[in-house]
Amino acid sequence: MTVINYLEENVKNYPEKMAIIDDGHHLTFRELSQKVQDFSSIVATLSEKDVVSLVSENSAEFLIAYLGIINSGRIAHLIPTEISEQNLKNQLKSANCGAVICSSAIKKNLSNFTSIKVPVFAFNELPSEPTEDVKIPKKNELAYLIYTSGTTAEPKGVAVSHAMIEFTTKNIVRILDYVESDIDLLPLPLYHSFGLGCFHTSLCVGSTLVLLKNANNLQNILESLKRYNVTTLAAIPVTLTKLLQFDTSILEDHFLNIRLIMTNSTPIPKNTVLKFKEILKKGHLATYYGLTEASRSTFMIFDEANHREESVGKAAPGIDVKIVNNHDDDSKTGQIWIKGNNVIKKYWNNPEADKNLVDGWLQTGDIGYFDEEQYLFLKGRNDDMINVGGEKIAPYEIEEIVKQISGVEDVAAFGIKHEVFGQTIKLNVVKSKDSDLEKSEILTHCMKNLEKFKIPTKIDFVESIPKTDYGKVKRFMLK
Amino acid sequence: MILADVLSNETEIKTAIKNIFFEVFSNLTEADFSWEKEQKDYESWDSFTQLNLITLTEAKFNITLSLEESIGIKSANDLFKCVISHLK
Repeated sequence: MTVINYLEENVKNYPEKMAIIDDGHHLTFRELSQKVQDFSSIVATLSEKDVVSLVSENSAEFLIAYLGIINSGRIAHLIPTEISEQNLKNQLKSANCGAVICSSAIKKNLSNFTSIKVPVFAFNELPSEPTEDVKIPKKNELAYLIYTSGTTAEPKGVAVSHAMIEFTTKNIVRILDYVESDIDLLPLPLYHSFGLGCFHTSLCVGSTLVLLKNANNLQNILESLKRYNVTTLAAIPVTLTKLLQFDTSILEDHFLNIRLIMTNSTPIPKNTVLKFKEILKKGHLATYYGLTEASRSTFMIFDEANHREESVGKAAPGIDVKIVNNHDDDSKTGQIWIKGNNVIKKYWNNPEADKNLVDGWLQTGDIGYFDEEQYLFLKGRNDDMINVGGEKIAPYEIEEIVKQISGVEDVAAFGIKHEVFGQTIKLNVVKSKDSDLEKSEILTHCMKNLEKFKIPTKIDFVESIPKTDYGKVKRFMLK
Repeated sequence: MILADVLSNETEIKTAIKNIFFEVFSNLTEADFSWEKEQKDYESWDSFTQLNLITLTEAKFNITLSLEESIGIKSANDLFKCVISHLK
């Protein structure tokens, strides 16, 4: 089964049922299917290459394009809307894509990226219907490609197969009881594994997906819950914590008919879990642990009988999770390894990254431990990656940008604990002799050259950066 | 010298805050800016943007905002009032 098969099943079973609701569009499954068919014929005329890139805010057009690319036998390369020119250039080169499809707002931004040579088409620049009969090529084993930050500054391409999607989606549906009558509110970006997996789930069971552009407007999220009689919500922990600024009575009223809130494995504050346990009268809060390379590997449903508010749950059916500890001590804590049909076989054209895959096991780089009942708890990263609200950032990338500033002699970036985001970035900066550089100048430079989730929140001017004899930063001393 | 030392009146503080908005929202134009315009009216004002607004403000005025104050900022006007309360 592929996501296209899910769509076809829904057209057969509920052709006139609402499939997608967003600001400008209400599409039934029949209408969605027709638009996907048309789009795939159009895509087939754009390029003969295997990969077509897609960059857009959340919208029905995004989903039509995503399914259309897949239905055309190609791989949908999903790009974050906030991507920098350099990262975009790197990704397009690595993906070897034939064309970029985007929203008109994104097209406006991309027109400033002079180094991008791949043809770029805004949705509204494509014909609304195919102008010629195009033969759709063979089905591709792979569905989508997402680049995720690695342990070096080079992002790693993760290509996800139809088989992986089917396996993961079935687990989500089974464990969290998604059904055709659900109405699923999604304020998460579709270019991330979390948001995309939610879309696959809705499509699999034939429920209605209510799409929001983002989670910026908390009032809109609350209003949408009622307006559309929503039954499930997917949101990152930051959004859930921010929602708690509303009166409990208001939240209880708006969440009255919610049977499930799904969040992800960025550390969720224990207090947020406890509050939502109180707020949800008929439902549960649930979380999962996974990576783009190994989506939804564990699940945790926070219910009254289980007081493990800081756990990410147990391994999903068909997935093995183990802790590998190379220390000589008796510690139960070690690196988390995952094996199963949700795990990629290899990275996208990246033999170096493939070393993280050993006999089908993915070495995640995350540190954790199991309790006596095999509930998994996360303790951080094995490497130096900084996890800001779920976005993983290599310190090296920040340091390279800051080193460009006149007056900076040396710099080290590292993660510091943050109440809401889990971690944010701190810089220790060594100024050149006689430099009058100010912290705000460093921030301004970062804002011009880095994506917004990579901007440091704290800067200290220091005398020196601790380093090994080989010149490598001793990051453990910074923490 | 920190910026707060040289800002002798509210007009200068307002100018500095406006500049912070233009730095954080790179596509913001003079016509799009308004002191009353709220977070929900900005397409790109998400949690990270909020964090960057607060961080740059803290660095420019050499102040530290609490989590409650940070979450409460919903417009340029909110940020201005918050900064004034710290500088008084």
